[in-house]
Amino acid sequence: MTLNRLPDPEKRLSIRDLSKLYNEFVALDHISLDIEQGEKIVVLGPSGSGKSTFIRCLNRIEPHDSGVLMIDGKIIDQKTDLTELRGRVGMVFQNYNLFPHLTVLENCAVAPRLVRSIPRGQAEDTARRILAQVGIAEQASKYPIQLSGGQQQRVAIARALCMDPEIILFDEPTAALDPEAISGVVLIINDLAAQGITTVCVTHEMGFARRIADRIVFMDKGRVQEITPPEEFFTAPRSARAHAFLNEMIRF
Amino acid sequence: MRRAGLLGVLTAGLVTMFATISAWAEALPSFAANGTLTVCTNPTLPPMTFVNGAEASALAGFDVDLVREIAGVWNLRPDIVQMDFEGMFPSLSAGRCGMVISGVMRQATRERNFDAIPYYESSMVVIARTGTPKISSFSELSGQTVAIETGTSYGRLIDIENTALAAHGKPPIRVQLYPSEDQVIQQVLLGRAHAAMSQDVEVLYRRQQLGGKVTTIFKPDIPDFHDFAIYIRKDAVDKARLEHAVEELRRRGTLTALAHKWNIGDTLEETAPARGAPSRFDVQTFLSALTSRAFFKGAAMTLIMALLSHVTAIAISIPIALALNGRRSLIHPVLSAYVAVFRGAPTLLQLLFIWNALPQFLPVFRESWFTPFLAAWISLSINESAYQVEINRAALRAVDRGQSLAAEALGMKKSHVYWHIVFPQALRIALPPTINDFISLLKTTSLASVISLQELLAVTQIQVARTFQFTEYYSAALVWYLGIVFFFLYVQNRIERRFTWADRDKAAAHDA
Repeated sequence: MTLNRLPDPEKRLSIRDLSKLYNEFVALDHISLDIEQGEKIVVLGPSGSGKSTFIRCLNRIEPHDSGVLMIDGKIIDQKTDLTELRGRVGMVFQNYNLFPHLTVLENCAVAPRLVRSIPRGQAEDTARRILAQVGIAEQASKYPIQLSGGQQQRVAIARALCMDPEIILFDEPTAALDPEAISGVVLIINDLAAQGITTVCVTHEMGFARRIADRIVFMDKGRVQEITPPEEFFTAPRSARAHAFLNEMIRF
Repeated sequence: MRRAGLLGVLTAGLVTMFATISAWAEALPSFAANGTLTVCTNPTLPPMTFVNGAEASALAGFDVDLVREIAGVWNLRPDIVQMDFEGMFPSLSAGRCGMVISGVMRQATRERNFDAIPYYESSMVVIARTGTPKISSFSELSGQTVAIETGTSYGRLIDIENTALAAHGKPPIRVQLYPSEDQVIQQVLLGRAHAAMSQDVEVLYRRQQLGGKVTTIFKPDIPDFHDFAIYIRKDAVDKARLEHAVEELRRRGTLTALAHKWNIGDTLEETAPARGAPSRFDVQTFLSALTSRAFFKGAAMTLIMALLSHVTAIAISIPIALALNGRRSLIHPVLSAYVAVFRGAPTLLQLLFIWNALPQFLPVFRESWFTPFLAAWISLSINESAYQVEINRAALRAVDRGQSLAAEALGMKKSHVYWHIVFPQALRIALPPTINDFISLLKTTSLASVISLQELLAVTQIQVARTFQFTEYYSAALVWYLGIVFFFLYVQNRIERRFTWADRDKAAAHDA
């Protein structure tokens, strides 16, 4: 697949030559990629390959240093309204980062109330609906500490969904989950895709990647080494680095 | 011509009027301001100056009456400020009071810095427990312990005597210093000190109170200890006016009448009838002290001062903690220095500095709006804020960075992130050390008695000076302090119980 030099305003996400430096260290090196609406992208790569940095650039938690990031035809840069951007691009963190002092319901309703000035009652109604959608309606009044890992993961997803995003970024969503819970996450992400929500997911879990990805983006040393559908990536990776990476993964 | 004539009459009239006003004004000393005569006293030397009754404000004694009489001569309103003995002369220097009248002896060394106007003859005495043999010179106290009040000039006298003793190869007189005269005498009663130094007028009073347990063993004739004097800041004109006023009172017979009233007249011999000795612990006194208005007001003052200072300290400390936790900038060293200085300097020193030293280079702090309450509030707030900065910094740091990251990823503004996500979690972490600090601060307020704040301990000490019932009044103060502290420990416990989200066990129990 070849990309135009210019970003494509028709795509949900269009990224050209995105680069990020930490002092001398090149964290992201000219990343270019287009992502469609409702597409499920999985970013793979060894530790330190820049995959987490990459998704953190997409909601500008890490501002990029050069290149173009375009969402729905709009260029994202230092002039972008971050509140608006983060309303469009939600994020689910590896440790979920739920707010421990708020109940599950409040965790979900707090951002719509504060950021969008939605009245409490309305925000909580929406939150209840979305909690039901991810299957944990009955946990609404509990505190995060009272929930299992899988339940916390669902709260984190529900919290992001309450902002009604177009894109959700997942940072290692399966890192702390048992196989049953992982299947649950797969179902939820498929459900999101069906609603037209784009997901970009960083993971180490090959089985999970294979089950959900429309396309695998393989990164190493800050660069995109290859972008391939999962069947092809896991059977016949194009790049030598991906080959080595998969061999390494199988060994452990 | 007519106009000129009228003008002439008017001018003449105005000149006469101004002359009259200025003549009237000239009769007043320069330290009389707004019709008020402010006087510093340390009310722990009965019968000269003391608190007579359970009310801290009920000052009485020869000196207190004298203040009223002098104010009467000048047609001024008397305003008597109570403080520790040590605090009086710095306060006089700072212009916080116009005169010191507190049973203070006229002395050449003090007259180098202040003007002294004698008003009553007295003499210094050495006292000891009844039955102690009389002595005829200070040298007989060689090797003995003598208790004296801090800030008085007795210490200097002993220094001179000790030099002479050393020259003769004899052991020196050992000195113990105490902040009030009643504590000085208590050392004699307890046997901790062989003797104590005081004034004959007080000894008479104490003998009555203590049932003749103390007696005068030596009455030296030293010129420096002959007269009680009023002290003012050096000013020849003021001195002449005050001398005139005292002379006027002497001429009217007022001074003699006062001496009679307070039983310090010519019949000053130890013939006073002894009252029954106080019992070991008088439950009745203890209970009435505990429930007295004076103690209630003292405790309220302690509580209000601690609460107000701590709230202010927290308000000051949060922005400093945030700045210090944030990116390094130019104000970092300034804020770090603030914390280091105010955490490093003793609280008592900060109080004395703000109350006594600050007005010397910033005259605005001499004015009456700068009350002991305000000074204590400022000192304690600043002092506590330095500690609170460290608590808050640690608490803010302890909130996982992922929390603000998650909040920002949801589009929250910085202020929302702090108020709704970071602060509530930091509060949970900061609460126990903060309440711990508050309890400590509650007790630190007792230091403010040195700048004459009428908090619980100051009230206690004044009552002890009056009654000499140490155990009963100290116990009442103890009960009040413990009562307040236990209340706040209970509050802490209640608040912590509300934070179920932070405790897995309780959360689980709550769930069940």
